Amino acid sequence: MTRRTVALLSAFAGSMLVLGCGRTNQATAKDDPGLKVRYAALGSKIRGLDPGDIGDVTSSLVASQCFETLYQYHYLKRPYELIPCLAEDMPQVSDNGLTYTIHLRKGVYFTDDPCFPNGSGRELKVQDFIYAWKRIANIKYLSKNWWIFDGHIVGLDKFRDYTKSLKGNEAVDYDRPVEGLKALDDYTLQIGLTKPWPQATYLLAHLPTAPMAKEAVDHYGDQIMNIAVATGPYKLESWTRGSKLVLVRNPKFREELYPCEGEPGDRGSGLLDTCGKKLPFVDRVEYTIIEEDQPRWLLFMQGKIDASGIPKDFFAQAVTDQRKLSPQLAAKGIDLVIEEDPSTYWFGFNMEDALIGKNLPLRRAMSCAWNRAEYIDVFTNNRGIAAKGIFPPMFKEFDRNWVNPWADYSLDRAKKLMQEAIALNGGKSLEVTLSMPGTDTTFRQMGQYFQRCMDKIGLKVKVDYSDWPSFQDRIKSKSTQIFAMGWVADYPDGESFLQLFYGPNESPGPNNFNYHNPEYDKLYQQISVMPDSDTRVKLYRQMERIVCDDCVAILSLHGVAYGPYYKYIRNFKPHAFGYGLMKYIDIDLDLRHKLVGR
Amino acid sequence: MTTYIIRRLLYAVPIVLGVMMITFILFRVVGGDPAVEIAGKTATAEMIADIRHELGRDKPLFINTVAYKHQGVTSLFDSQLFHHLVQSLTLDFGKSLRDRRPIMQIIKDGAGASLSLTVPMFIISLLVSLSISLLVAYLRGTKFDRILVVLCVLGMSMPYLSYIKFGQYFIGYQLNLFPVFGYEPGLAAIRYLALPILIGVLSGLGSEVRMYRTIILDEVNADYVRTARSKGVNTARILFKHVLKNAMIPIITRVVLAVPFLFLGSLLLERFFGIPGLGYLTIEAINSRDYPVINAMTFIGALLYVLGVIVTDICYALVDPRVELR
Repeated sequence: MTRRTVALLSAFAGSMLVLGCGRTNQATAKDDPGLKVRYAALGSKIRGLDPGDIGDVTSSLVASQCFETLYQYHYLKRPYELIPCLAEDMPQVSDNGLTYTIHLRKGVYFTDDPCFPNGSGRELKVQDFIYAWKRIANIKYLSKNWWIFDGHIVGLDKFRDYTKSLKGNEAVDYDRPVEGLKALDDYTLQIGLTKPWPQATYLLAHLPTAPMAKEAVDHYGDQIMNIAVATGPYKLESWTRGSKLVLVRNPKFREELYPCEGEPGDRGSGLLDTCGKKLPFVDRVEYTIIEEDQPRWLLFMQGKIDASGIPKDFFAQAVTDQRKLSPQLAAKGIDLVIEEDPSTYWFGFNMEDALIGKNLPLRRAMSCAWNRAEYIDVFTNNRGIAAKGIFPPMFKEFDRNWVNPWADYSLDRAKKLMQEAIALNGGKSLEVTLSMPGTDTTFRQMGQYFQRCMDKIGLKVKVDYSDWPSFQDRIKSKSTQIFAMGWVADYPDGESFLQLFYGPNESPGPNNFNYHNPEYDKLYQQISVMPDSDTRVKLYRQMERIVCDDCVAILSLHGVAYGPYYKYIRNFKPHAFGYGLMKYIDIDLDLRHKLVGR
Repeated sequence: MTTYIIRRLLYAVPIVLGVMMITFILFRVVGGDPAVEIAGKTATAEMIADIRHELGRDKPLFINTVAYKHQGVTSLFDSQLFHHLVQSLTLDFGKSLRDRRPIMQIIKDGAGASLSLTVPMFIISLLVSLSISLLVAYLRGTKFDRILVVLCVLGMSMPYLSYIKFGQYFIGYQLNLFPVFGYEPGLAAIRYLALPILIGVLSGLGSEVRMYRTIILDEVNADYVRTARSKGVNTARILFKHVLKNAMIPIITRVVLAVPFLFLGSLLLERFFGIPGLGYLTIEAINSRDYPVINAMTFIGALLYVLGVIVTDICYALVDPRVELR
């Protein structure tokens, strides 16, 4: 190899190092030490910023800093409470629960963008909501969020049918009227429902229902996933796909003030110190996409990101046996919040399976043989609460005094039930198959642990490991026997869980258990149109007991999140349902400089 | 040579078509339904059916005999297979089902970042491993040679992930010599790419050196080397001018065939160091049943491989006058 060849190769290598470049970074906080910058990490890639098509947590987390909805959750109050956001006040609901009248806040403007005449963002109008919701109904758009409106709004399903009838590239007529979506004027929206919908207001706080400017969709076409023409506190500055996204303060953001009320203890923790101050506090938010645990944790320890989850491998380094932050981390000026998730994880039974569905003692035996405490310790570093019912403890439907006999670990009882199960099977020994939604080491260890638990009662378990799409296919085609799954509620209403057991929702619907119980289904129809009340809470609990008594799943755990963060982050309070919360966060720049030197 | 190239290109057509057919059968027939993924967590059967229709997944797989009866011969080809073939052959892969972005745009955005990692890594690795191999071949049988062979075996035995995790923790975090993570467009990328490139080079060094050493030793023992020595040619000239040139055929086979895959990026390095390349694109597409992306990446991968093989053959003729392309 000649020197010239080596030189050429080196030059080529050098040129490749700068390939993929073209844009340089905008001015950052380095130039302005007074600029409040929040450095955040995201655990997976951002799919897009178009709220109508967002279905994943990461994209929602980012888009909700730009897009707003009619309602939002109060940042500090618990139990969770909805308050107006783009709406002027809470909706006026007709006596029969079928008509919602919502007044829009005046003087809310979209960010300046070339899609508007002269590039100046126009005022938000009711028509922007109607357009956004029709867009979700449009089948050509293939939105993941049609489930929100499906069957609820008068005439919207017909609009969807109309879009189905369009051929090829035929344009959708968004001016086509929908009976249940009326703009009484530019600031008054009237929604007509097909039947009472008690969860409607929660869903109007859900990001996909955010308004969308038609001008933006028309202007950007396919690129709308990469753009955020919205009304919220932040606007998009730059986005390197798969790497980094930067938001900056939206100068046209309306006046919104930090709350002055919270729950007891908030004042003492300093969460009300910024009461009445104009939002947002942070000037710039830099999201870095870090999909692996190790680099995320190392960057956090270097002070290059402000908050992080705790990877399993670093848990012992971060948290003591007493569930407190380790002295090493505390000395670095790190604090820890522990917060329950609105989640329940289970091993579900396919009730249409000939063996599992007809053998109640077998299902109960398996549930009693499942050692929840040990599982939580081994697999989650104790970041979980043993589940005894379907509702997580944060839900008001959760009954602290109720004991589910089939969710208590008892090998003696499990063995007795197993004898009954074998007798019911004509005396033949039993073997079942568990389907796991992944193939990596952790899933294999979980499968092996499940086998070990069931082996103690003489039940043989075969475990099938498959990737998520194949697993989903098997669930939706009802071809599993037992499957590992869970549910994270979208809103603080137990109905989010109860729908999962409603007969008509069987696979491919959300009822993956294919559970059919006429008594349960009748109660579900009753509660699905019933406004919140003590009676409804009682009915929810009654339904939960039916499901638990039939032992439709081995209820395993409710998730608990541990979130360490640097103390220079002010007003940090975890929220189970809210997404657009960056506007409440403040940063103590002096303390940041002292703790991490930036 | 032109005739040879044309003939080889024509041979490539059935190979690429074969790859396309296998991809189609693998992912359309047994790969699951993307409509389930798009329809979301609370999808109903009707929603899934509607989406299947919109995606054309309810069309016959191979030939549309139903449409043929009503609409004539042309509609016979209104099937999933023919749409798949047309998309690939026209390089119009459409949009990603997951990101809704044009696939060519996704590839264009990611290829630069991937190449900025893999090309320097490949070239540095090649230069370093060839140099070490020549040195070891020169010092063959000595203690240095034996120690290096042991080190090579040790290096080969260590999992790739260990290099990444250790390098990131020790060199990046503990010694703070390079950024632990991140990527910036422009020249700033060099700062971020240095550590992953270093790790990539080190992790491959063991197997590369061991292989090149074997190739070079075969040549070192050849008659022409003895002749050169007896004529008094100095060692450096023997190694660099004669031995290396004659060892080029197996080296080229390895090098040229590896070049197309540089475009596909490095899965683990990109993921651990936050480089927004193409390394993880195919895996993510498979996990989310994003068939247009799977189709595009498989097609492009196959095409590059076939071209790589042709270029390899041409290189043989260039470096070895005994090889004639017919």
